[in-house]
Amino acid sequence: MREAATASTIWQKQRGRRLAAIRFRRFTASNLFVLGAVTVVLFIVACAIVPSIIAPYSPTEMLTDSIMQPPSAAHLFGTDYFGRDIFSVVVYGSRDSLFIGFASVIVGGLAGGAIGALSGYAGGWLDAVLMRCNDILMTIPGILLALAIAGALGKSLFNIVLAVAVASIPGYARIMRSQIISIKGRTFIQASQAAGASPLHIFWKHVLPNSLSPLLVMATIGVGTSILTGSGLSFLGLGVLREVPDWGTLLSQGRGYLTVAWWICTFPGVAITLFVLAVNIIGDRLRDQLDPKKSMR
Amino acid sequence: MNRNRSRFQSSAAVLLVLALVLSACASNKGENNKSQQAQQSDTPTTAATEVKQGGELTYALATSPDTLDPHRSGLAVAVRVIRTIYDSLVVQLPDNSIKPWLATSWEISEDGLSYTFKLRQDVKFQDGTPFNAEAVKYNFDRILDPATKAANAAALLVPYQSSEVIDEYTVKLNLATPSRAFLGNLSQALLGIVSPTAAKKDGDQFGLNPVGTGPFKFVKWEENAEIQVTRNPDYKWASELVTNTGAPYLDGITFKIVPEEATRIGSVQSGQVLAAETVPPQNIVALKGDSKVQLFEANTVGLPYTLFFNQDHEPWNDVKARQAVQLAVDVDSIVKTLYLGTYDRAWSPLTPGTFGYDPTLENSVKPDLEKAGALLDEIGWVKGADGIREKDGKKLSLHYVDGTPNREKRNDIAVIIQQQLKALGVAVEVEITKDIRTIVYTNGSYDLYGNSQVNSDPNALYSFYHSTDPKALPSLTRLSDPSIDKLLEQGRIETDDTKRADIYKQIQHYIIDQAVILPIYVFPYTVAADKSVKGLVFDSLGYPLFNAVSIGS
Repeated sequence: MREAATASTIWQKQRGRRLAAIRFRRFTASNLFVLGAVTVVLFIVACAIVPSIIAPYSPTEMLTDSIMQPPSAAHLFGTDYFGRDIFSVVVYGSRDSLFIGFASVIVGGLAGGAIGALSGYAGGWLDAVLMRCNDILMTIPGILLALAIAGALGKSLFNIVLAVAVASIPGYARIMRSQIISIKGRTFIQASQAAGASPLHIFWKHVLPNSLSPLLVMATIGVGTSILTGSGLSFLGLGVLREVPDWGTLLSQGRGYLTVAWWICTFPGVAITLFVLAVNIIGDRLRDQLDPKKSMR
Repeated sequence: MNRNRSRFQSSAAVLLVLALVLSACASNKGENNKSQQAQQSDTPTTAATEVKQGGELTYALATSPDTLDPHRSGLAVAVRVIRTIYDSLVVQLPDNSIKPWLATSWEISEDGLSYTFKLRQDVKFQDGTPFNAEAVKYNFDRILDPATKAANAAALLVPYQSSEVIDEYTVKLNLATPSRAFLGNLSQALLGIVSPTAAKKDGDQFGLNPVGTGPFKFVKWEENAEIQVTRNPDYKWASELVTNTGAPYLDGITFKIVPEEATRIGSVQSGQVLAAETVPPQNIVALKGDSKVQLFEANTVGLPYTLFFNQDHEPWNDVKARQAVQLAVDVDSIVKTLYLGTYDRAWSPLTPGTFGYDPTLENSVKPDLEKAGALLDEIGWVKGADGIREKDGKKLSLHYVDGTPNREKRNDIAVIIQQQLKALGVAVEVEITKDIRTIVYTNGSYDLYGNSQVNSDPNALYSFYHSTDPKALPSLTRLSDPSIDKLLEQGRIETDDTKRADIYKQIQHYIIDQAVILPIYVFPYTVAADKSVKGLVFDSLGYPLFNAVSIGS
């Protein structure tokens, strides 16, 4: 941008204006969407942080004389078969769901990123060994891998995070490695090497900072995917029976009532859908912003 | 590449959820249109003058049987199939009286140690083997033989010792001790009579090629899919429980294994199967308004679903602590909330319909949170700052173990009790596990665990409340009280029915007064069937009988 502005030819000025206009139009067009997505995510994160302010009832309070009430003014999402207010349960349930989502992305992203960086930067036999292992893991579908791990480790929130994280490692490793390799071959790296910088210095100061953005984008979208995988595990019965169930467990428990009280599992499902959709929209937007090819042309 | 994959997953999930929502709306709408007519479903239509012959009944089972060898099976779901293939020596009627079946009459010796049975002479096994005294002797000796690895059958056969063949159709069974439960046990399907020829030939594989004397012959078993049986045309020795003493009206039955509740019930409504078992309460309520479907219900007999305290663990060895929980748990509210009025609440360690059941226990326990708190205060468990009671720096917790999956909503009971006991100041840790065998039976690591048992005689109480040999596997309650031991032993042998009923009354009162257990509900076996299905009846334990079933009119 700055280069374009300092250049003095008319052609460049025109091009700059035209580009800015296009970008502005594009921004406003998708802006509403993104704004909506950000609102949804912020709201759900707020639910997880201060559920007591948002939820009208306690999530464990069982109003046994008003079970399976359809949605109404008193119970926005209706009540479930225990007589709990579903809106409140969904609000409180966001805690475990988001925890699984964010924690597993942090664990999986860090581990995958580290493996990918090491593999890509070191190259040679280490690269070959790590990537072949990675390939093997990638042949197993993520949810199957997570199922196997969660099944073997037993039921706990931590194990679910671990299962989802491990299942996401191959993806992160792959993307990090390819990015590192592409940066490694750039001329500014060769210049740095020629100037006598140590490999470690080059890695920390040049290669790593320039390789992070795709990982960041992927991690953002990964939050959505992880919540989905986590909910999937809970749905399949590997979840933890806690006082306040997460969205996946709610969905699974409400399934048997689908024909008589559709609201019990619909609203947790809608919550998952909305959140995952919003996170994906934001991730998409982030990618556009961070992609040098798209923003600089 | 990978990003694409994850986005694909997300959009697939979005679609899935949408589909769920849409289907939910659709079926809900359908229900509103249904007529609300009431129907008589608990009175089975008897086979009247004109019965339609033939037809194939499709019957959806909730889980897969373990084996079709009655002596090796331990699952109630297997009994539903087993009962069609095998007959028993005697039959127990709903009033608990014992009537002839494969045996025409019997004599019990003065000391109660030997039973002499006269057998029917016109019975043949489905493979042509004649049914006689040798066959009976072979069957009971087979159960006793450790090589058979008999399961529940071995427990039911106690105290059987040996058989003597008196003549071709007379057999004498010798017992080690007298047992009032013995004839009732003989009526159970798990002590059904198998063909000696087939059992010897197939050995371990007999459960996959079952042969008995029953109204239906085994055809095939596709693992986790279906089991087929076909009409036994020679059959003419049905028990008093069914109106059709001859061969069944049906050509055959196909038992389909459909574990998913919604699918099972949905397939009756859509006509894919003609009948499906174990209808969830919320569907019972909905199906009552369905004009195409009828409901059959039979309360099971024996031990209701009961929560057992483990008296090896403090403080639950203290009667006051147990009574506090008994007073704090509102069983009425649990049963009403979860089962929507379709299950009866249990009050006693026995279900109504079992011999000796004491109805005076009904309404004997009323929730009283204040009194419950006072009891815990009395023994030193005082509420701490967080609302949980403590004593000597230890928090009052209760380890509640239940099995997975959420059968009969048993996990949901745990969730409600957790909330109810929170008000009392007891922290309930709920553990839902697949491995009940290790956690509950081997390690005994539970404070509260729930179970039920279908049984024909109150002697079933023995294995739960009688003290056990220190070397043997302990009972679920770990109860050890000489006075109860004595009563249980007397109940086993008492020949006078009035006295025997009185003994079991005392036992039931003791168990509830001492809060040894929390009885929760009586399980009704439910079958949703197409209106064209007629003549389905249940035996006294609540198992379906298909002899007089016909399709259409």
